[in-house]
Amino acid sequence: MKMLVVFEKFPRIRHIGHLDLMRAMQRALRRSGLPVKFSQGFNPHLLLTFAAPLSVGMAGKREIMEVPLGSDVTEAEFLEKINAALPPELPCLSARIVDDKHPASMASLYAAAYEIAIDSEAEALRNAIPSFLAQESIIALRKTKSGEKMVDIRPMIFELKASGDNTIRCTLALSEAATCKPDLLMDALCAHAGLAARPRTIITRLQMYGKDLIPLEML
Amino acid sequence: MKEFSESKLEILLDTALKPARYTGGEMNAVIKPFDQADVSFAFCFPDSYEVGMSHLGIKILYHIINKQPWALCERVYMPWPDMADALRRENLSLFSIESRTPIRKFDILGFTLQYEMCYTNILEVLDLSDIPLHSCDRTQDDPIVMAGGPCAYNPEPLAPFIDVFQIGDGEEMMLDAIDCVRKCKAEGKSRLDTLRALAGIEGIYVPAFYEAAYHEDGTLKSFTPIDQAASPIVRKRIVKDLDKADYPDSFIVPYTEAIQDRSVLEIMRGCTKGCRFCQAGMLYRPVRERSLETLLKQADQLVNSTGYEEISLSSLSSGDYSQLTELCCELTQRYADKKVSLSLPSMRLDSVVKQSLEELQKVRKAGLTLAPEAGTQRLRDVINKGVTEDDLVRAVTDAFQSGWSTVKLYFMIGLPTETDEDLAGIGHVAKTVMNCYFTVPKGMRARGLRVTASASTFVPKPFTPFQWQPQDTLPQIREKQAKLKDILYAIKGVNFNWHDPELSMLEACFARGDRRMADVLEAAWKNGCRMDGWTEFFNYEGWTKAFADCNVDPAFYANRQRGEDELLPWDFIDAGVTRAFLWREWQRAQRAEVTPDCRKGCQGCGLQRFEGVCRK
Ligand code: SF4
Repeated sequence: MKMLVVFEKFPRIRHIGHLDLMRAMQRALRRSGLPVKFSQGFNPHLLLTFAAPLSVGMAGKREIMEVPLGSDVTEAEFLEKINAALPPELPCLSARIVDDKHPASMASLYAAAYEIAIDSEAEALRNAIPSFLAQESIIALRKTKSGEKMVDIRPMIFELKASGDNTIRCTLALSEAATCKPDLLMDALCAHAGLAARPRTIITRLQMYGKDLIPLEML
Repeated sequence: MKEFSESKLEILLDTALKPARYTGGEMNAVIKPFDQADVSFAFCFPDSYEVGMSHLGIKILYHIINKQPWALCERVYMPWPDMADALRRENLSLFSIESRTPIRKFDILGFTLQYEMCYTNILEVLDLSDIPLHSCDRTQDDPIVMAGGPCAYNPEPLAPFIDVFQIGDGEEMMLDAIDCVRKCKAEGKSRLDTLRALAGIEGIYVPAFYEAAYHEDGTLKSFTPIDQAASPIVRKRIVKDLDKADYPDSFIVPYTEAIQDRSVLEIMRGCTKGCRFCQAGMLYRPVRERSLETLLKQADQLVNSTGYEEISLSSLSSGDYSQLTELCCELTQRYADKKVSLSLPSMRLDSVVKQSLEELQKVRKAGLTLAPEAGTQRLRDVINKGVTEDDLVRAVTDAFQSGWSTVKLYFMIGLPTETDEDLAGIGHVAKTVMNCYFTVPKGMRARGLRVTASASTFVPKPFTPFQWQPQDTLPQIREKQAKLKDILYAIKGVNFNWHDPELSMLEACFARGDRRMADVLEAAWKNGCRMDGWTEFFNYEGWTKAFADCNVDPAFYANRQRGEDELLPWDFIDAGVTRAFLWREWQRAQRAEVTPDCRKGCQGCGLQRFEGVCRK
C-alpha cells in the first residue's frame, strides 16, 4: 500500500532545498517506526516521491508526497507517528491510503496556486494586473539549462488577482508539458508595470491541482 | 547599540549564502520559553554551522543544560562572512538559532575551544553581539563569557576576552557553573562577586584574578593570584564514571548536511598509549570506558530519535575499547533491518580486529584511516607511537582482503629529532601499503586502490612531553614539504596532501602563547582576520602585520627551545599529568625509548593523584 500525504513547509524553513527536505522526511520516517520500504542495493534508501519539488525560498501550505509502506497502517496511526517524528515547522496535515496502482501524483499534476507577498510597489503591481491579463500573449524569457528561451506564458496563467493589499494570488500551469514558475510571472508582471527592479517577495505554494483544477490530493 | 528585527533578518536570509545555516527549526532542537528560564546559556561553536553542528561536546552539554527545568541553552555559530558583513551593515545583532534572541540578552555566552585557529571568530562573535571584547569593560548587563574545551588548557592568549574558563570534563562542571550563576543572579550579586563565586568551583579559572610578570628576555617570571577567590593552582575536572555521566538521548538533526551527519557514541574517554606529540592523549586521561550495556541503550535512543543512517564510534583509540568486537557485532546485527550502518573512525594500526572488520563490511565500506605519524621505526619510537611496520602490513593486508581499497595515511613532519631518513621513510611506508594491496590475489581484493598520504606540520602542545620543543621554522617546513613531494610524487598512485605551514606556525604561537598573544589576536582581528581555518579566508598578511604592530616575534612562541626550568604560561593548571612525568618522557624520547601502554602497568603520570580514577 501507499500513503498519500499532505504536509506543510513553514515559512521559517523556506530556505531548505528540495533534497534537504527529502532527506529530512526520510529521516522522520525512520524515526517514526512506520513500516517503510527501502530500495535495494548498496546504499539502501527510503522510497519516497514528491509531487513536485518546492524551490528554495518557497514555503508550502499543502505539499504532497507518497510513501510506499511494507505493511498495513491506518491513516490516523500514520499521521500520529509521522508527526511525532517531525519538527513543528514541517507537519503532515492529512494522509490517505491509496492502492499501489494509484497513478503517481507527479504524473497527474496540472497546476498550482501561489500566494506572493510583496514588499514594495504592491499598488503598482495590483493596478497592472487587468491590462497584463488583457494581453493576448505574454512573452517571457525563461532561463533553461541550454540558455534562454522565449515562451508565451499567457495560456499558463489560470488565475491572477490581488488577494490583499500586499499579496497576489495566482494559479499557474505546473506539469510535465507546461510550467510557469511564479518567479517568471513576477518578472513579466513587473516589466509590464514598468518597474525598474523586482520588489522582494515571499512566495508560498498554496495548493497543487490535477486536471480541471481538482485538488491533487483528492484525485 | 545593535538592534534585532526578525523582518530585517528575513530580508538578509533571502540573499545569504546557505540561509539554512541560520533558520533553525531542526528536528530535536529544544524550544523553551526564553523568559521563563532562571538562567539562559548561548552556546557558541566559533566556526560555521556545518562544522559546529558536527561537534559531540556541544551536543552533550546542550542536552545536559536543557534537561534542567530552570535552565535554557540555545545555539549560535560564527556567521559565514557574507552574513557577518550583512548583520554589521544593517546594524543587527547576532542572534541565537532557536528563539532568535540577541546574544547580549543571555546570562551566559559559552564558547567551545576546539582549535586555536577559531580564536578570531570569538572576537567577531562578541563584536557582532555588541558585547565588549574585554572582560574588564563588561557591565552587569553583559553576559558572562565562558570558554571550555581542549584549548582552554592554555587559556592565556584569550585571557582578556573570557571571563571564566572551564578546565576539564564539562558534564558536572557545567551544571555547577550555571547553577552558581543562577544563584548569584537570584541574590542580585554584582558581576565581580559572581566571578568570585565561580572561581570557587573546581576546574574554573577566572583570568582577571591573576597577574603575569615577565623577565627581561620575555619569558614568564611569575603568575600569581591577585584576588582572594583565586587559587594558585587550577585543577582540571574529571568525570569519574562515564556510565553515570549524562549522554544525549537525541541529537539535533540538521536539514543541511553537517560534516558529521550521523549518530555518535562516545565509547570511552582518554587514552593510555602515551603518544608524546598528542595533547588529547594527555588531557583526557585517565581512560574511562562506557559499558556495553550503556552504549547499546544509548545507541537505541539515538537511532530512534534521529533517524540517522549511520552510527559512528568516538574515542581517541576505539581499537582499545575492551569490548569492541562485541559492540560492533551487536550494533551491526541490531540495526540491519533499519539499514543503519556502523563506521569506525581512525582505527589504530595495532588494534584492527579482523573479525569486526568482516562484521562491518556487511554494511558499509568507508575508507580505512591509519596514522603511522612517522616514516621510520626510530622516529615512531621517539614519539612513542607503538606501531611497527609489521603491524601496518598486517592491518592493511587484512583490510584489503576484507574488501577495502581506499587507505588514508596520516604523517607529521617537523617532529623532534627528524632527519631526511625519516622523510624518506614516509615514501617507504606508502610503497609498502601499495605492495600489500598487490599481494592480495585479484579475485579477493576490491578494485580501485586509492592511497592518500597526508603530512601535517608538528605543533608542540602544552601538557605533552614536547611542550618545551621548538617548532620547525617556516623555511624548514617548506623545505621538508618539497622533499616529501619529490618522494611521494615518484610513487605512482599515491596522492599527497599537506598543510599550510603559516597556519601551523600560528597554531603553535597560540598553543603555547601567553597573555601578550592576546594583543596579537586582537590586532589581527582588527586587520580583518577571521575564519582563519578556511583557506579562502586565511589572511596571512593580516597576521604578520598584527605581530609587527604589537612588536611580538612569532619565533619566540613557535621556534624557541624552552628551558627545563622555565615557568610556562599554563603551569598553574593541574591537568593531571605532572611536569616531572612529561620531562621524563622527553628524556626517554631523546633516547628513542618507548614507554609502554599504561594499561599494562602504571607509568606514574600523575593521574594516580586523583582519587578513585586510576585504579592502579
Ligand atoms: S596514573 Fe598510571 S595508569 Fe593512570 S593514566 Fe597515568 S600512567 Fe596510566
